[in-house]
Amino acid sequence: MSPFDPTAHALSVNRRTFLTQSAYGLGGIAYALLQSKLAAATAAPAPAPTGWNGALREAHLPVRAKRVIFLCMAGGPSQLETFDWKPQLKALDGQPFPASFTAGQQLAQLQNMVLKARGPVASFSKRGQAGIEISDLFPHLGRVADELCVVRSMQTEQINHDTAHAFMNTGSIIKGRPSMGSWLLYGLGAETQDLPGFIVLTSQGKTGQQPISARQWSSGVLPSRFQGIQFQARGDAVHYVGNPEGVCQSTQRQVIEEVRRMNGLLAAGTHDPEIATRIAQYELAFKMQTSVPDLTDFKNEPQSMLDLYGVKEPGDGSYASNCLLARRLAERGVRMIQLYHRAWDHHDNLEGGMKSGAQDVDQATAALITDLKQRGMLDDTLILWGGEFGRTPMGQGTGRDHHILGFSVFMAGGGVKAGTVYGATDELGYRAVENPVNVHDLHATMLALMGVDHRRLSTKFQGLDVRLTGIAGEVVKGLMA
Amino acid sequence: MHAVSCRSLFFLCVVTVVAGPSRMLAANEKISFNRDIRPIMSDTCFHCHGFDAKTREAGMRLDVRDEALKPTKTEALPIVPGRPEASEIINRIFDDRDPMPPVDAHKPLTPAQKELLRRWVAEGAVYEPHWAYAPLVQPPVPPPARGDLNPIDAFIRTRLAEKQIKPSPVADKSRLLRRVTFDLTGLPPTPEEMATFLADPAPDAYEKHVERLLASPRHGERMAVWWLDIARFTDTVGFHGDQNQRIFPYRDYVIHAFNANKRFDQFTIEQLAGDLLPNPTIEQRVATGYNRLNMMTREGGAQPKEYLAKYGAERVRSVAAAWFGSTFGCAECHDHKFDPIKTRDFYELQSFFADVKQYGVYGDYDYTRNPDLKGFNNDFPFPPEIEVESPYLVARHARAQDEIAAHVTAMRRQAQAPAAAARLATWLDETRAYLGRVPSGWEPLRATKAELRKGDKVITERPVTVETDGTVYGGQPLANREFYRITLQPDGGRITALRLEVMLEPPAGPVEWKWPPSNVMLIPSVQCAEGEVRKLEVVFADATVKAPRFINGAELHGITAGWRLPEPTKRETVTGVWLLAEPLTLAAGESLVVIVSGETLPKFRMATSRLGARDPLAVASAATLAALTAPQPTPAQANVLADTWMMSTAEDPAAFARYHQLVAKRNDTYGGKAWSMITEATQPMTVRVLPRGNWQDESGPVVLPATPSFLPGRLESTPEKRLTRLDLARWLVSPANPLTARAVTNRLWALYFGNALSAAVDDLGSQGELPSHPELLDWLASEFRDRGWDVRHMIRLMVTSATYRQSSSLRPELRDIDPANRLLASQNPRRLEAEFVRDNALAISGLLDLRDLGGPSAKPYQPPGYYVALQFPDRDYFASDADAQWRRGVYSHWQRTFLHPMLANFDAPSRDECAAARNVSNTPQQALTLLNDPSFVEAARAFAGRILSAGVRDEAARLDLAFQLALSRPPQLAERDSLTTFLAAQRAVYRADLASAKKLLRIGLAPPLGGDLVEAAAWTQLARVLLNTQEVITRY
Repeated sequence: MSPFDPTAHALSVNRRTFLTQSAYGLGGIAYALLQSKLAAATAAPAPAPTGWNGALREAHLPVRAKRVIFLCMAGGPSQLETFDWKPQLKALDGQPFPASFTAGQQLAQLQNMVLKARGPVASFSKRGQAGIEISDLFPHLGRVADELCVVRSMQTEQINHDTAHAFMNTGSIIKGRPSMGSWLLYGLGAETQDLPGFIVLTSQGKTGQQPISARQWSSGVLPSRFQGIQFQARGDAVHYVGNPEGVCQSTQRQVIEEVRRMNGLLAAGTHDPEIATRIAQYELAFKMQTSVPDLTDFKNEPQSMLDLYGVKEPGDGSYASNCLLARRLAERGVRMIQLYHRAWDHHDNLEGGMKSGAQDVDQATAALITDLKQRGMLDDTLILWGGEFGRTPMGQGTGRDHHILGFSVFMAGGGVKAGTVYGATDELGYRAVENPVNVHDLHATMLALMGVDHRRLSTKFQGLDVRLTGIAGEVVKGLMA
Repeated sequence: MHAVSCRSLFFLCVVTVVAGPSRMLAANEKISFNRDIRPIMSDTCFHCHGFDAKTREAGMRLDVRDEALKPTKTEALPIVPGRPEASEIINRIFDDRDPMPPVDAHKPLTPAQKELLRRWVAEGAVYEPHWAYAPLVQPPVPPPARGDLNPIDAFIRTRLAEKQIKPSPVADKSRLLRRVTFDLTGLPPTPEEMATFLADPAPDAYEKHVERLLASPRHGERMAVWWLDIARFTDTVGFHGDQNQRIFPYRDYVIHAFNANKRFDQFTIEQLAGDLLPNPTIEQRVATGYNRLNMMTREGGAQPKEYLAKYGAERVRSVAAAWFGSTFGCAECHDHKFDPIKTRDFYELQSFFADVKQYGVYGDYDYTRNPDLKGFNNDFPFPPEIEVESPYLVARHARAQDEIAAHVTAMRRQAQAPAAAARLATWLDETRAYLGRVPSGWEPLRATKAELRKGDKVITERPVTVETDGTVYGGQPLANREFYRITLQPDGGRITALRLEVMLEPPAGPVEWKWPPSNVMLIPSVQCAEGEVRKLEVVFADATVKAPRFINGAELHGITAGWRLPEPTKRETVTGVWLLAEPLTLAAGESLVVIVSGETLPKFRMATSRLGARDPLAVASAATLAALTAPQPTPAQANVLADTWMMSTAEDPAAFARYHQLVAKRNDTYGGKAWSMITEATQPMTVRVLPRGNWQDESGPVVLPATPSFLPGRLESTPEKRLTRLDLARWLVSPANPLTARAVTNRLWALYFGNALSAAVDDLGSQGELPSHPELLDWLASEFRDRGWDVRHMIRLMVTSATYRQSSSLRPELRDIDPANRLLASQNPRRLEAEFVRDNALAISGLLDLRDLGGPSAKPYQPPGYYVALQFPDRDYFASDADAQWRRGVYSHWQRTFLHPMLANFDAPSRDECAAARNVSNTPQQALTLLNDPSFVEAARAFAGRILSAGVRDEAARLDLAFQLALSRPPQLAERDSLTTFLAAQRAVYRADLASAKKLLRIGLAPPLGGDLVEAAAWTQLARVLLNTQEVITRY
């Protein structure tokens, strides 16, 4: 028996060590070893790994969801015009905001300003059998109210967009922390080998746009194969997935075949397991060159489906088109699908901005839920809808400022308690007072629904056990069915 | 019985299984605390029984021997030296019912680890200080001491001999030169260099080539890639809008430092504290840009104090990572769990930098006024900066000036040629007549119509006054999107230039004016009789008084894109002149329409001229008027006449346009100057220990600069004498500090051997790895420190060692004994870093541009729309033109939030913070990049062109050449056969589809290939194959 336990070794060494000590191919082959696909003593050159089935050999917890679709409402939509109806705030509209709420609290652009209450600019109705109060700006979501699990008591720690996105995605504002999607891919692997396991789509509204960064889907200190791949609205959906001009698919195949032969000849004379990995990666690349165009070719979607989502032009980069694409990705076994819709930073013109943002996302979000349900996929697809923070019940001109002490998100599908509301803010919607859920709790709960104990999914970095939830986070049982 | 009842004693929950090097210990081998025990305890004990008093459980402390021998709160004895059976920790680790570490920590010890701990206690529980923090003393070189034996080899071979492993044979000569050329310059050897080396039988042929490569300017570029990761050098600020910052001269400094083999101590001092040196040079001040490379924000709503705390914390992390190879990050919030780094150490280190002038938020917002940055918008730079000469720009400026001078001379020659004499004379007559009517050369125009508008809507309720001298007066400030639309009817003839005079006197009256006016825009157009409007192009505009304007950090020239007035501006009349791209002659019924806007335009008037000039402000200058009216022009005046004629009439439209192109090109060289962010010292901010890192909590003690308490030779501030960055920098490179030399040497090693000696280069602390060869690392580190911090000496030692020169073919028989090849019984193959993957392809193709050293960042082709999610400002990406497209990757534009996909795909870090080591991944994205990124496709077709135009016609000889260029070796028979078949197939493909061949052959900016298109396309495909092979992107 070999004294070397490759699995233990690969799991134990520092990530940097792990990746730089690639002498016998730890870069690629250790993954295969981890999956027990290869015995330690396999003769070189070892067969190349074909995929990644996840660092977890078995689920820690019952698996309720197999994939996540995170509909990130970038900019921070107002809870007071979406899911948190505050009649008392309406009554106080235009009046000074009680200082007892705000004294000593962190504010963004409202620092050093006179604080006045701003009543909600949307009406609300009780929707579904559950009677969940939902803003009338979102009639379609109202129709699927009984699928929703609305959290009205979210809290975060970061009051500016950039850092708040980092916190919502990675649980930390320290650079290099892996994003939620990277953790899922690392922990659970993907069910597709032809497509990246973590895909990001972006769209933008007419107002309230804020920049986002590729950092938000970075794998950080995890190997880069776990990073999110952003699909582009223009040009190739995935960078460099299209053949060069003047090279057709069969000619490209000939090139790849010839590269394989050259690499094979090299492998015969040189012991370097990376060669075998490289050969496999060219195969995967070629598969992606076929599967990505197939994925983004909507012609098999009937008009009724386009109408359900409100897609005007398939592949136009709209949120609606991205939602339909998200379903197609979910069908193909992508582990994490993250949509950003940049439209929700309403420091001014809250009323117009909320209307326009709601028009962008309401129908397509509801359609995604409906569509997944019809296909029997909602049960094991976890949907999260929400921004990086919420907005102040105090007005800022004609809008609202950033707010972190209380805001709303909703989840649907995969193991969440449907048709419920969890937590509550105070009477003015300022602070979560009943069952507050912080970002770490949200992460812990999402991982739990995916069968992962958040305390046990970690990686070594600089001597630390890095985790999505850091050293915090409690699973919120009240959100789980 | 169990003295300790708490269940969660030893650990925090974690998933990993074992820590430390996997190692089998012989029965008779003595246990070493640092090698065998510390890694286990650090991973599984110290979290609850270590340095951090706040989380210490049961009063048990195990990291200090004296403490570990004392009874705990419950009177148990954790360790009784020599008596494992009496030691609580040993009892507990073997206790299946209530084990340590507790089950819920998910960190079970393996039987081997338990046995190690037991044996260690039995052998007396001897502790050793942590290797990295121990004083650095040069160990003796293992025998046999031989003058010709590189000490590195003595250490490496001693360990190999212990394991009865023979080193690998030396790599063959061509592979060796290829290896060392990549390692020292990031480029492949040229076929000529290879031939010289192969033909040199001298015993020191290799050493001679090492010296040549070290002396090459390419060496500094290669080393800069290494250091710029550590220094987190980027072109953009990173947070939120990720705007451009101006800093490239710092990169030039780094390249130059390595090329000059600047002592590393000096390099350190200049970057951290160059500004504090006596009479600092420009270079030393540029070096302090290091302190400014932290991420910055301009996000509206961000609090300066919060972000200053973030910047301060990042700086501690980056400085500690760079010079200590140590992880201070955790200590921002709590004492380090595994290392003796205290929270106070973190803030004391931060305090050294409290004098660095910076702003938490680089803007001037209503909620947080900042008088220093008044008027700043998203396009502005990030001061403080200094303006320096850039050799790259100076050379280009001089070249552009020469081109302009030559062009002007040519235009004059054309104007003064006999053939043009008649036309020149006619023009002169006309012009003199014009000047008789309009002596100043500027014809004041009274508007025939003046409207205040918003979009298409005329605001009739606010009538516009036009005074007799043409002065337009609106009476009220303009609201958002309002503008004046002025219709002018010049008195026939040509129009070359427009002039706007703004009278800077706030009109009296009750209206509150924003003062002074800013952001004046002027858009000229022509309206035909039918009402149709044709916009006029402006080639350049300038003003007598203007404040700088920027587009994403780059200063705009003149006022062509808008005119901003400085603050404060005197009460005076300021003048802007717009030169039309084509002189305009109005047809009958046409009129000139000018749109003038600005937040506030009190009073203004317009004039036109039919005179042109090379510079807008020289239109109708005194000298011009004198030349035009001189009865007998002097030779100098004759030249002015010629110039004025050409610029007024665009007599030769192509020459006229070319002149302005040349000027635009020259303007982009900024007179050879560039701005660079630097450190400016200011009154130090108060630095407090922030409880749990919370910037709003001011309850923590104020701290002054001090070096870390756990390292030797501690320096502390006193109330009388506050230590400075200069003190810190000098201490970092003082003999007292053992860490800097170890950290730097360890990282350098990784460049040449694939792995560092302590593989976790960013953590030399107790959670890191004991070096594979501790004595070697200390020997090298001492050598570095004691021999003048001579980086090149260290590199030379490494690359001339026999260990380095071994074959890199791995040894399957050693897979079990040394799975990670840490003993170095062979070299390690190393995939090239991202920048060098591209450099190499460009070098092979002949496209690589090595004309210049240093200079502004270049922009390789990038997929369109990649920055669509970036805002403030919105931006697009324009790939560099042929002048800068094929520069080395070290010069690539580095966008923190959206790093160029090619760089990102090949594991280049975004450099948000210090990146001491890069990932080495092997992904489908890399395959897609090499296959389809236009940079690589273009390189392939240029490579094909190089082969086809080399003067060898025979296919076999062409293949030989291709292999020499791409792989520095001839093809093997099997390769030759396969590629010959491939080539034939490709010829068939493109013979049947010439259109596709044409498409393939025009990808990129390089001139398209001529000649036989089928042959060119087929060889391009072959070139693509070669550029995609593992051998091309790997240094073996």
